[in-house]
Amino acid sequence: MKRFFDAELENFRSNLILMGETSIRQVRDAVKALVEGDIALADRVIAADDEIDNFEIKIDEEAMLYMNLRAPIATELRLVIVGMKASHDLERVGDECTTIAKRAVRLAGLPPLKPYIDIPRMADIAIEMLRDALDCFLNGDTDKALAVVRRDAEVDAINKQLYRELSSFMIENPATTTRALELMFISKSLERIADHACNIAEEMVFLAKAQDIRHREELKKGTTA
Amino acid sequence: MSDLPHIFASRPSRGRFLERATFWVFRLATYLVLACGLFVFGDIVVKGSGTVFQREFPFVNTTFLTHSPESLYVFEYKGQKHEMGDTEFRAFREKEEADAKVAGQPAPKIKTESYVYSAGGIWPCIVGTVLLVVGSMTIALFLGVSSAIYLSEYARDGRFVRFIRLAILNLAGVPSIVFGLFGLAMFVLALKWNVSLIAGWFTLAFMVLPVVITASEEALKSVPKGFRDGSLALGATKWQTIRSNVLPYALPGILTSSILGIARVAGETAPIMFTAAYVVRDKLPWEVDKLGDFFFQGVMALPYHIYVVSSKIPQNEYTERVQYGTAFVFLLIVGLIAATSIVLRNKLRGSYKW
Amino acid sequence: MVTVTPSPSLTSTAAPMETPAAPTKFSVTVPPASAAKSGVATTLINIENFDFYYGAKQALFDINLKLDDKRVTAFIGPSGCGKSTLLRCLNRMNDLIDGTSIKRGSISIRDVDIYGRDVDAIELRKRVGMVFQKSNPFPKSIYENITYGLRIQGVKTKSRLDEVVEKSLRGAALWDEVKDRLHESGLGLSGGQQQRLCIARTIAVEPEVILMDEPCSALDPIATSKVEELIHELKKQFTIIIVTHSMQQAARCSDKTAFFYMGKLIEYDDTRNIFMNPANPQTEAYVSGRFG
Repeated sequence: MKRFFDAELENFRSNLILMGETSIRQVRDAVKALVEGDIALADRVIAADDEIDNFEIKIDEEAMLYMNLRAPIATELRLVIVGMKASHDLERVGDECTTIAKRAVRLAGLPPLKPYIDIPRMADIAIEMLRDALDCFLNGDTDKALAVVRRDAEVDAINKQLYRELSSFMIENPATTTRALELMFISKSLERIADHACNIAEEMVFLAKAQDIRHREELKKGTTA
Repeated sequence: MSDLPHIFASRPSRGRFLERATFWVFRLATYLVLACGLFVFGDIVVKGSGTVFQREFPFVNTTFLTHSPESLYVFEYKGQKHEMGDTEFRAFREKEEADAKVAGQPAPKIKTESYVYSAGGIWPCIVGTVLLVVGSMTIALFLGVSSAIYLSEYARDGRFVRFIRLAILNLAGVPSIVFGLFGLAMFVLALKWNVSLIAGWFTLAFMVLPVVITASEEALKSVPKGFRDGSLALGATKWQTIRSNVLPYALPGILTSSILGIARVAGETAPIMFTAAYVVRDKLPWEVDKLGDFFFQGVMALPYHIYVVSSKIPQNEYTERVQYGTAFVFLLIVGLIAATSIVLRNKLRGSYKW
Repeated sequence: MVTVTPSPSLTSTAAPMETPAAPTKFSVTVPPASAAKSGVATTLINIENFDFYYGAKQALFDINLKLDDKRVTAFIGPSGCGKSTLLRCLNRMNDLIDGTSIKRGSISIRDVDIYGRDVDAIELRKRVGMVFQKSNPFPKSIYENITYGLRIQGVKTKSRLDEVVEKSLRGAALWDEVKDRLHESGLGLSGGQQQRLCIARTIAVEPEVILMDEPCSALDPIATSKVEELIHELKKQFTIIIVTHSMQQAARCSDKTAFFYMGKLIEYDDTRNIFMNPANPQTEAYVSGRFG
């Protein structure tokens, strides 16, 4: 049976998806601005963070109102709770993008330390993870969500490798320190974005199956029961 | 295990015996009542049906049902025993006298024994009783339902209404002969209606009024308050509400009570003997000169007729027929009217169920 | 303040009913722009300094309340707090109870004092309908239930009555369920259907305000949500005031909520504020279920 407030829930869902899409766009643009040294794009990324912040506020407001007035239970309750948490993760993703964009502006005038290969790769993986997590939100595919969780290790590995690489740059030539540090932080940001993607994926598993898989490695291994 | 006392008392216990004894007393009392009823009804039905029904076609004694009462003449003539009603006897005598005249003989002397009311029928009594019942119930229902509506729907509960209710309750306990005297004083003498149908109607109506009012009030009260509220909330006035949304649902209850009223109205002798009933009246009620006279004529009535034939004439094989026959017809008519009301009530109840 | 379109005054006899544009097409009348959801609500009913007594016992104390047009207002509060009493004052159903009196204050609808000397309570009730706690369809056919109000007003035309029956039943989301048995008893319907029949009966006389006194307290959850759905639809056309014991119902259905306690109006605000951030600690205690 349809209820008159079902529209509110639909609205809530689509807001979350829009927020996710915006965050993915931000990651892509921030990294593109870095690689291409495009200051204008970086500025646009920084400005667009307000969009994401507004999404978070709106989603929180809708969630609270819905919980307050519509007394959701079961799937609906999980949806509202997961929506609030996921919007918080997405907002953090947005913040990381702002950081990346700011560093991209600073790096724009400087000669590149080395060709950008690892950072775009990390970004690609992180974007894919975000997208898969959102797909899971749309179609409830928990296998895909678990795959997202497992992929986190890839990003971590690249981050570690970049850390070592950039450390050696700094030791060999202290003049590179500034640039190396910026890159290190960018790498760290991307690693964080992947972490948030993981969180979102875990939340989506909770939404679909009401199963909390956080910090329970055995549940993340194969397909869930 | 076996050392322990049995947790149930051995049977039959004292309490159980007492229960059975009491139960049997109740059962016998019920049977006694039933036996009395069966005896009375059986007696009337067995003896009365001999008068009302007959072996030959049309199986119903039409004379008894459609003729006026006549005197019965019993006589021996030319070695033959005859039983004749008044009209028949006169024709017979005239014919015999004429025959004798033709033959040049002196008029024959016929030695007769006569019994009043024992021949003919009871048609005027049936008509009178039906008229009395219909008229008085119409008046009683109109007055009773009106005052019940006033008391339960309009009047504010106060000392005055409580006084009225007390008066109505007391009225229900007044013996019927007192109503008869009241009718005599009020309608027959004071209002100068004389012994008439209308005086009988009002007397009987007043007699059943307490029953009708009390029962109508109960019936009105049993209609859920929601129906009234729902109707009023739609912008209906109180009277519109009562007329179209309370009274129709109370009607089955009111009719149920009026069935009791009908039996009483039809059966009471005392209220009508001073006010409406004639011992004998030749004319039927519709044989009046003008319409106004209809209401101001006395009528014959079954209960009064029963009273007359059972107390004012000797009891013997000739009078017994009309005595039992009248009682039997009376029972049938009361039963018929009651059955009609029950059918009507059930039909109404079927269409208004909640 | 948005101006409202003038409507026939409460004192007029036989309020003329608007006729639909095409007789065969039944659609919910689009509410005037002023009543659009986003728009500013206008006050329809104004209760001022209202004191109400049952005999010597005061039931309502100095109530001041402005109820919005084409909105749902919920009255909540513990039993005996006066919310039903106030509701029944709005269509003067309390007139029928012995010993009631108004010692002070007034209630006006569209600036007409409904307790004024020139206002007939009968006419008022045609404009302010009421749905009761216990569904009370009359023991008549569904058709007769719906047409009852109109017949009382003297409408006899068959085509007109047919039209109103269909329109009202559609309005109460009951048409599809009962259209094949309009001439069967209204008491043969289920509890929820009966209550919707009562709502249909009320909207058949096209009132301006519908008062609902705990309309769902005797219904199961499914029937309840159907009625709530209906309330949501009806507020496009009618001003609805609902008394409820269900906090969830008040939260779900109403735009504004008034909380009563011991005959006094404790708090009146947008429903979301009442439930998210009530100003009065008594309100908070009540809506969160720790009262007394």
